[in-house]
Amino acid sequence: MAEQALETGPVAIGAEAWTLRPRAAVLTTVRRFIIRKPLGAMGMLFIFIAVAAAVGAPVIARYDPWEVFHSVNPDYNPDDPFSAPSPTKLSRLEAPSADHWFGTDTAGRDTYSRLVWGARRSLKIGILALLLSTAAGTALGVMSAYFGGWFDTVMQRVMDAIQAFPALLILLLLVTLTKPSESSMIFALGFIGITQVSRIVRGSVLAQRAMPYVEAGRVVGCSDWRLMGLHILPNIAAPIIVIFTIGIGSVIIAEASLSFLGLAPPGISWGATLNEGQRFVYSSPWQAVFSGAAITMSVLGFNLAGDALRDVLDPRLRV
Amino acid sequence: MYQYVIRRILLAIPTLFLVITLTFLATHIRPDYAEQAIAQGVQGGDRNKALEQVRKTLGTDRPLIVQYGDYLTDVIRGDFGKSFLTKRSVMYEIRHRLAPSVELGILQIALALVISIPIGVISAVRQDTWVDYLLRFVAILGLAVPVFYLATLFSLFAFKGMQFSPPLITTAYRDLWEDPTVNLKMMLLPTLAGTLAIGAVIMRLLRSQMLEVLRQDYVRTAAAKGLAGYTIIVRHVMKNAMIPVITVLGLLVATLFSGQVILEQMFSIPGIGLYLVTSLRQNDFPVVQGVVLLVGLLLVATNLVVDLAYAWLDPRIRYS
Repeated sequence: MAEQALETGPVAIGAEAWTLRPRAAVLTTVRRFIIRKPLGAMGMLFIFIAVAAAVGAPVIARYDPWEVFHSVNPDYNPDDPFSAPSPTKLSRLEAPSADHWFGTDTAGRDTYSRLVWGARRSLKIGILALLLSTAAGTALGVMSAYFGGWFDTVMQRVMDAIQAFPALLILLLLVTLTKPSESSMIFALGFIGITQVSRIVRGSVLAQRAMPYVEAGRVVGCSDWRLMGLHILPNIAAPIIVIFTIGIGSVIIAEASLSFLGLAPPGISWGATLNEGQRFVYSSPWQAVFSGAAITMSVLGFNLAGDALRDVLDPRLRV
Repeated sequence: MYQYVIRRILLAIPTLFLVITLTFLATHIRPDYAEQAIAQGVQGGDRNKALEQVRKTLGTDRPLIVQYGDYLTDVIRGDFGKSFLTKRSVMYEIRHRLAPSVELGILQIALALVISIPIGVISAVRQDTWVDYLLRFVAILGLAVPVFYLATLFSLFAFKGMQFSPPLITTAYRDLWEDPTVNLKMMLLPTLAGTLAIGAVIMRLLRSQMLEVLRQDYVRTAAAKGLAGYTIIVRHVMKNAMIPVITVLGLLVATLFSGQVILEQMFSIPGIGLYLVTSLRQNDFPVVQGVVLLVGLLLVATNLVVDLAYAWLDPRIRYS
C-alpha cells in the first residue's frame, strides 16, 4: 500500500500539486511499469501493434487484401507452341520478398496485407464478445453473491452445467445452428465467457460484502441496487479489468479455431489464413507460419498484459 | 466420507439434469436453420412440402414442451436417436469412435504430467532465477499458441528435420493393439501438440501451490530437523501441492476435448471429435445432439470423480 502511494506521487497537497502532475507523472509511471514488468510492457506493445494494424489497416497494409498478383512465367515462350499458355502466372505460395514481406497465399494474394486486415476481425470479435460477457457476467455475479440464497444456488448450478461442456462444443453448436455471421459468433463467444466472469466477480463480491463499508451503506439507508452499483462495483473494478484483458486472448483463439475448422462466416480471418496455409505447409510453410504467429502474438500480448495488470491491481486474484 | 460421497452424488443430479436441458435447448430452440438445411438436401418437389416433411420427421412441428418431455424420457432410457445418414443408433456410432479419442486424451494427459510436474517443481524451488523465468515464459507462451498452429509447426519440423510425416488418411488408422507402430505414428504429433496447453496450466498451478506450501512452518521444521532437500520436496511439499492440481485435471478434460476436435480433424484420427465436425457439416443433427450430450455427461462424471478423489486425499474437504 505504501509503495502504491509513492508511485502515484503527490496526491492532494494543494492546487499546485495538481497542476504539476501531468505529462512528467505519466511518463514516469510508464517507465516504471516497463522496468518493473518487462513482460507486461511487451504484452502492451503486442496489443498496440494489433490495434494499430486493425485501426490503420488501409494505411498499413501495402496492398488490397483481395488483390491477386501475377508474375512473369519463365516457362512461356511465344515461339514454342508447346510451352506454357500464358506469359504471366499466378504468384501463389511465394516465399517472402521485398514485394511481399510475408510471401503470397494460396490464391496469389499478399499475406502481409491479409494479416493486417485480419487483425480487424480478431479484435472486433474479441472486444465485442468480452464486452458482452463482462456486462452479463458482472451483473449475474454481483447479484448472485449479493442476494445469495436460492438465486445464488440456481445460478451456480446453471453455470456448472454450462461449464460442463467444452467451450468449443458450445461454439460449434451455437454457430452452426444459426446462420454463420459475425454477430452470431460474437454472441456465442460472449455467452461462453459469462460463466468465468460471473464466477470471479461472485468471489470478489463475496469478499466485499463482508466489508464494513457495505454495512455502513446499509445503515444509512442505501437501496440494494445503489449499494451494488455505486459502492461494490467500483471496488471490484480490478478483477473485472484483468478478466476482460485475458478474456480477449481466449476469444481470439476461439475465433481462430472456428475459422480454422471452416465454420466461421467468410471474410479475412487469421484462422482461415492459417488453415489454407497449413495444407501446403511441407512445400511452402510461409503463409501458415506467419498467420499462426499473428494469432500467437496477439493472444500472448493480452495474456501478458493481463498478468501484469493483475500483479499491479490485485495480486491475490487467480485467473 | 460416506456422507460426503452421498451428498456429492446428490448434488450432481441437478447438474446432470441441467446438462440434458441445455443440450435440448441448444438443439431445439431455433430449429428453422436446421430444417432448411435438411430440406435443401431433398431432391425436387415443392420446397414447402419438403420443409413440412422434415418438420414431421424431426418432430419440430410439435410444441417445445412436448418435445422436451419426449427427449427426456428417451435420454433416460439411454436412447440417443438414430443417425440420419447411416440409420444406425447414435450410441452405436459413438461407441465405435470412442477408442481413438480416449487413447489420444490419455496420452496427452500422461505426457503433460510427466513433463510439467518436474518443471513446476524446479521453477518453484529455483524461484526468480533465470531457469524460473525461462520455464514460466515457455508456459505462458504455451497458453497463447493455438493448438492447430503448434500442430502445424510440429508437422513442419518433423518433416523438414526427420523426414517424418504421419499417414494423413482416416482409413490408415489402426487400433493400438492391432498395429501399435501405425497407431503411435499417427498419435505422436497430435499428442505433442495437445500436451503443451495442458502442461502449461498444470505447471503454473503446481508452481504457485509449491511456493505457498514451501512457506509453511512444517516445511521449516522438516528442514530444521535435518531432512535432505530432496526428501522435503518430494515427501512433504509435493504431497500437499499436488492436491489442487488433481482438481484442475478434471476441468482440463474439457479443454482437452476442444483440442481433440481440431487435432483429430488435422491428423485424420477417426475419433468422436472428427465425427462431430463431419456430422455438423452434413447436418446429421441427432449425431451432433448425441455427441454433445455424451461429452457433457462424461465431463460431469469426471468432475464427480475428481471431487471424490479430492475429498479422499484431503480430509479437510469432507468435514467442512
